[in-house]
Parts: sequence; structure tokens; C-alpha cells
Amino acid sequence: MPQKLLEINKVGKSYGKSVILSDANLVINEGEFIALVGMSGGGKSTLLRMLAGLEETSAGSIIQDGNKIQGLNKEARVMFQEDRLLPWMNVMDNVLLDKRGKQSVSEATELLTQVGLGQYVEQLPSQLSGGQRQRVALARALMSHPRLLLLDEPLGALDALTRTKMQDLIRKVCQDKAITTFLVTHDINEAVRMADRIAVIKNGTIWRIVENPYRGKESLGDKEKEVEISEEILAEILD
Amino acid sequence: MKNLKKSFIAILLLFWCGVAIYGWHLTREDAGSSSLKNVVLGYQAGDEFYISKIRGQFVKKMKAKGYNVKFKEFQNGAAMLQALASGNVDYARVGDTPPVSALAAGTKLTYVAAGGTKAKGSGILIRKNSSIKTLADLKGKKVAYTKGTSSQYMLLRALKVAGLSNDDITWVNLDSDAASVAYSKGKVDAWANWDPSVAQVEITENSKLLVDGTTTKALNRSFIVSPTTYASKNKTLSKLIIKYTEQDMKWANKNHSKLIKKMSADLKLSKKVVRRSVIRRTFSMHAMSKSVVKEEQEIANVFYDNNILTKKIDVSKHVQYLK
Amino acid sequence: MENIETNEKYHFSFKFKNSLPWLIPVFLIVFWQVACNLSWVNETLLPSPIDVVTNGIKLFKNGELQENMSISLYRATAGLLIGGGLGFVLGFINGVSRKARLLFDSTIQMLRNIPHLALIPLIILWLGIGESAKISLVALGCLFPMYINTYHGITSVDPKLIEMGKSYELSKKDLFIKVIFPGALPTILMGVRYALGVMWTTLIVAETISASSGIGYMSTNAEQFMDMKTIVLCILIYALLGKLSDFIAKNLEDIFLEWRAVERRNTDASETSRNK
Repeated sequence: MPQKLLEINKVGKSYGKSVILSDANLVINEGEFIALVGMSGGGKSTLLRMLAGLEETSAGSIIQDGNKIQGLNKEARVMFQEDRLLPWMNVMDNVLLDKRGKQSVSEATELLTQVGLGQYVEQLPSQLSGGQRQRVALARALMSHPRLLLLDEPLGALDALTRTKMQDLIRKVCQDKAITTFLVTHDINEAVRMADRIAVIKNGTIWRIVENPYRGKESLGDKEKEVEISEEILAEILD
Repeated sequence: MKNLKKSFIAILLLFWCGVAIYGWHLTREDAGSSSLKNVVLGYQAGDEFYISKIRGQFVKKMKAKGYNVKFKEFQNGAAMLQALASGNVDYARVGDTPPVSALAAGTKLTYVAAGGTKAKGSGILIRKNSSIKTLADLKGKKVAYTKGTSSQYMLLRALKVAGLSNDDITWVNLDSDAASVAYSKGKVDAWANWDPSVAQVEITENSKLLVDGTTTKALNRSFIVSPTTYASKNKTLSKLIIKYTEQDMKWANKNHSKLIKKMSADLKLSKKVVRRSVIRRTFSMHAMSKSVVKEEQEIANVFYDNNILTKKIDVSKHVQYLK
Repeated sequence: MENIETNEKYHFSFKFKNSLPWLIPVFLIVFWQVACNLSWVNETLLPSPIDVVTNGIKLFKNGELQENMSISLYRATAGLLIGGGLGFVLGFINGVSRKARLLFDSTIQMLRNIPHLALIPLIILWLGIGESAKISLVALGCLFPMYINTYHGITSVDPKLIEMGKSYELSKKDLFIKVIFPGALPTILMGVRYALGVMWTTLIVAETISASSGIGYMSTNAEQFMDMKTIVLCILIYALLGKLSDFIAKNLEDIFLEWRAVERRNTDASETSRNK
């Protein structure tokens, strides 16, 4: 029986008169990789920001370890759509942020090696490609040992090839470290490629949850089956 | 390369700070000592207080009497009287017109002492080859002057002596720098002015005085003025200042060559110019007398009659006769 | 072969580019000297460059020049540090706190629109004519450019970076040191550059208020007696001091904002490679 980490309970969000989310319910289990797909403007990112504690719920509650999330969620780290690296700091300092000490430095070096940027520690963000920058952002997020990693379409701006590589990298790192991961994306193929479960958001609520048995295996699974699931989800969204 | 640049800028900044600290030190040096009573004297380069300053005896004598004298230099009389009105200057050496204007503007000042005149070095400048030969020839000519200064009074007096009316000439109001350019370019025919500027123009522009203060009775006398409340509280101090300044004036009259050398360096004028202006005046400093008050009253009256002052002034109410 | 040639060409044009800014000043000075030598201008109104320099050497030898320059430098620096520091603190407080902004900003904006030289009579009456009056005037001049640029710099730091910092649990101090201040620094340094300019212009005026020392005094004193050589010398000194402070400011920018130069080089490089 999987351990429950987080429970989204009848959560609603509205800005003035426009309602973004009305009655969203979702349980996130410890250690799983869950993706949230849906049309743009459907409230995906809003839900993620509420999980991070960057925005408040208008209705309902988000319970983590039996406690309601209020203010910043300290167990979570966000990888944003943009890399949000500090352009005046080199890669190492961006990963370290406020952490000091030899141990932190060696940990950061290890993480950077893991994401394949071992030789770039001295470089400035502007000297890196978009994909490399997002890898730095990933290392930075992992530096704080989060229990929950929130990915807000972090690969949206990358070219297709880099994207596929990044998907595999993120998936692998999260699996190795057993981090619960919540991915928001508008790309269904990406969700299918990465997630154990895929939640479909529609009409301001979690419309359906699709199990994805083809993910997480060593072989990238059955292409046909992958396509089948993608089409099934797409049909759900467009329905 | 990068580090070279960094160290270069660092050295430059250090040098900058070093020089600034040296500058701070220099300004501290004139701050003076503590237990003595501070007295601030305002002066302009080349005047009576200036002579006391360069001779150096004045400060020593005053220190022996318990006063710490500080000299403050000003670029013009109006600025000095502004500082006087705000209590930043205790005694100011001024010409004869600024105190009249200041009194009319409501400044509470008192005449403490009267100096010598620049009668022979104040008047109306013309070129030696000018068509103007007599005062009467000024009719229809352009004459430069500076509003509210002695030069305006000189010109008014000169016209009176010549029997001309104020409308007979074209009045060109210019400050001294502009007037100097206008005169050298021939844009004006004559220029009401005083020493040492007159001496310089006489030499460099081949000019002479058409008329000087001995004829016009615009004498251009020096005065020492003080804020009224300060003057009434510090009569002994005022007497000391008159006494010691007078001693310095006697020295100045006897030591022209030393004075000329120092003045020409400080005023950045040639010795020839300075000599000409020094030899035609007699330096002195005395307590106020009825006759000089009369001179001042005349200025106040003339200025009032010509709408330069909007208020009638009774100079005798602002005078201290120290004996 | 071809490669070497283009390299050389690049080298030459680089050198030429370096000397380009000096071309006009040098030409003007040469022209000025020639005009004086051929008596195209009246030397009493415009002395020749050589006369000005010899006059400078004379004043240097009797110590007057260095003394006045160091006193001016002291006043300028003290004014800049006080005014610029105050402007920075006010700009910082208003940039960070909304309440402070509501309380102070409109007052500061109102005061900013008063030409600070118009306050000279007030400053004389309040502070007298000593060093404090001159330094305050310079400080007043430097305050506003520093305030505006600091305030503007801090409020225009990318809010996304600030959000990142907050969500990564940076302390307030770290958020300021690592995110807000470096983000505002380019604009703040621009303020420093403006303030340096204002510093010199204000100082000239400040030193005409009953000074008995300083470059401004040297110049007004010379003006009274039509000593054109010293006047022109003072103008040249101001020009050089202005250029020197601008040079320092520009290099400080280069040193502290190296990351921007790297950024620019990279975007330029990627653009040219794209164009190819």
C-alpha cells in the first residue's frame, strides 16, 4: 500500500469573478511521478503554485503529512518554466544559493556531475544553452533535498531533441533519489514518457486519472501502447 | 588583464581618497584654536583687510588680546553683506554703495569705520583716441556700468557735473566681465569703473580716465560695517580692529614695493597695473566721522531720487562714532 | 593565410577605434594653438594652449594648484559620499517597503524638482559659508540621482527571480545580497555616474560662495581680473576631473558587472552565428 504524501481536497481558486479551479481532488503518493495535463489556462500551473505555497487556495485545502499547507511549502522545490538562474552568479553559486561550507560544495559538485555539467561550474548562465541552464535549475532544486519536486513545464522552451534527453534525465534522477514529483505539462507525450500516473485537468477539476504501466521500465516500453494511451488522454481532454 | 585593470582602478581610487584627505586637512588648518573668541572678517582681494591679512601682524596682535581672527574672502560686496546679515561674518570691508543698498533692503548693519578713497582710480574710462574729450561729449554715447554698484553712482555724479540729464546717454548695464569684453570690442564708448580694473584697462587698452572721483565727488570710499547687534555689544573689539588696521595701513603706505609684489601675485595682475592703482591711493582706517556720513547720505539720496532705492535712508541712524 | 590576414585587419581597426575618441579633442587643441599663433583670436580673450599649460606649471610650482585641487576633491568626495549614501539608503528603503514609499516618495519627488542651486541663499542662511555649506550643496545635488536610480533599480528587479529566492527559502538578508542588490546594481551604478557629473557642476557653483580655496575659487578669482589663462586652466581641470571620474565609474561598472559583458558577448555571438 503506497504511503500518501499529499492530499488535494476540494480545492478551488478564483480571481475575482473568473473561476480557475472549482473542485479539484487528488492524492499524491510518496515516491511517485505524477503528471498533470490539460489545456493551457486550465489551472495546471495555478494548482502547482498552490502546492508550492506560492498562492493561496480560495476554497478547500491541501493536506501534507496531515497538516494544511499555509504559506510556503518548505518540503517542496519548484523548477519553473524559465530557468530563473541568477545571471550574476556562476553555475556553482547558483546551485549553492545560500548554502555554505565544504560539504555543500562537494554535494553541489556531485549533483552537477550527475546532470552532466561537471566541467561548467565556473561558467555564467549566459554561457550555457537552454537545456544546460535547466539542468542547473534541476541541480539547484535537488540541493535542498525536497520531498516534493514541482515541475512547472520546465522543458517547454527547449528543442525536441534536448527535451527528450532532459525528460529521461529528470525521470532517472527522481527515481534514483525517490523524490515525489509533480509535473505540469501541456505535452501529453511528455507526460506519458515520464509519469507513473497522469491526471487530466478539465473544467476546473481533476477529470480523470490514467495509470501508465509503461513508464518506469528499463525499456522504453511499447511504442504502440504509448501512443494508445496518449490518444486516450487527448480524447479525454477534447471531449 | 582583468586583474591589472582592477588594481589600476583600486590604486586610482586610493589616490583619489588620499588627495581628498589631504584637502580635508588643508581646510582644517584654517579652523583655528579654541579658547579664543572667534572673529570673522570678510574681505575682497586687494582691500584694507587683505593688507592686514598679508602683513600677518594683525592676527598676532588680536590673538594677544584674546581674539582668534579668521579672514573670509568674497567675490563681491553683495555676497559679503548677505553673509553678514546671516551672522557668518562679523565685520565686512565694503565699498560705499553696497551698505546703502543693504540698508534699504532691511539689513540691520552699522557703520563702524571709514577707510581711504579710490577717488583717483575711480571714474569713467575712455580710449585715448576717443572722440570724447570732455564730459559734455558723453551726450548720445553708450556707457557701460553695473547696476547698484559704485559705478552707477559715479556715472550719475558725472552727468550732474557735466550738466547733462540722465537720458542724454545710453546706459548699458553689464557686470564687470561682460563690460570688459564689451569695452575691448568697442561695443561701448565709455565704462564707469574703479581700480585695479581701471589701471589694467588703462594699460592694456590704451585708455585713460575722462573724469575721476576728485571731480565727480563719487569718492569710492571703503567702510567697515558690522551687524547692528554685534556692533553694539563689541565696541572694544571694534576699536581694536580700527587701531590695528590703521597700523597696517601706515605700513602699506610705506612699503609699496612689498605690497605690490604680493598683490600682483594674489590678484594675478601685472606689477605695472598694481603699482599704478596702489600709488594713486592712500590707505587709512578711522572711526566714523560726520563728513563721511554726509558722503554716504548723498549716495542714498541720489539713489533714492533715481528710483534705484525704493526707501529713503537716514544713514546717521546706522553709524557708531567710536572714540 | 587568409585567416591571418583578416586577423591583422581586425587588429588594425581595433587600434584605430581606440584612438577615435581622442581625434576631435586633439584636433581642436591643435587648431586652437594655430589660431593663436596666427593671431586669428585675441590672446587676451583666448590664451593659447601653451600659455595655459605654462600658467598651470607656474601655479603647480607655487603649490596653489595642488592645494586648490585637493580641497575641491575633498569637498566633492565628501558631498558625494553623504548625498549619494543618503540617496542610496532612501532609495533602498522606498524600493523595499511600500509604506515608506507612500510616506516619502511624493515628498522627495517634489523636492527633486527644485533646482538645487536655487537653494544657495537658504543654505547660506542656515549653514553659513563654511565647508558644511559647500559640502551640503554637493550632497544635495548627488542625493537625487542616487535616490532615483537606487529606487528604480530595486523596484525593477525581475519579480520572478525574487519569487524564486523566496520559494527557495532565502533569508531576507540573503535575498537582498544575492538577488535584489546584484539585480539593481546596473541601475545603481548608472546613478553613481550621474551623481559624479552633478557633483562637479554643483561644486563649481558651491565654490563661488565665499570660498578662499578650491578650483571654483581660482576660477572666479581669475574672472574678476580677466586672468583668462587661469580661467581656461580651471575649465580644463574640470573637464579632466569630469573625464577621470567618468572613467572610474565606467571601469567600476566593467568590474562589478562583468556578467553583463559576458551576456552581451554571448548574445552577440549567437546572433552572428545565426545570421551566418
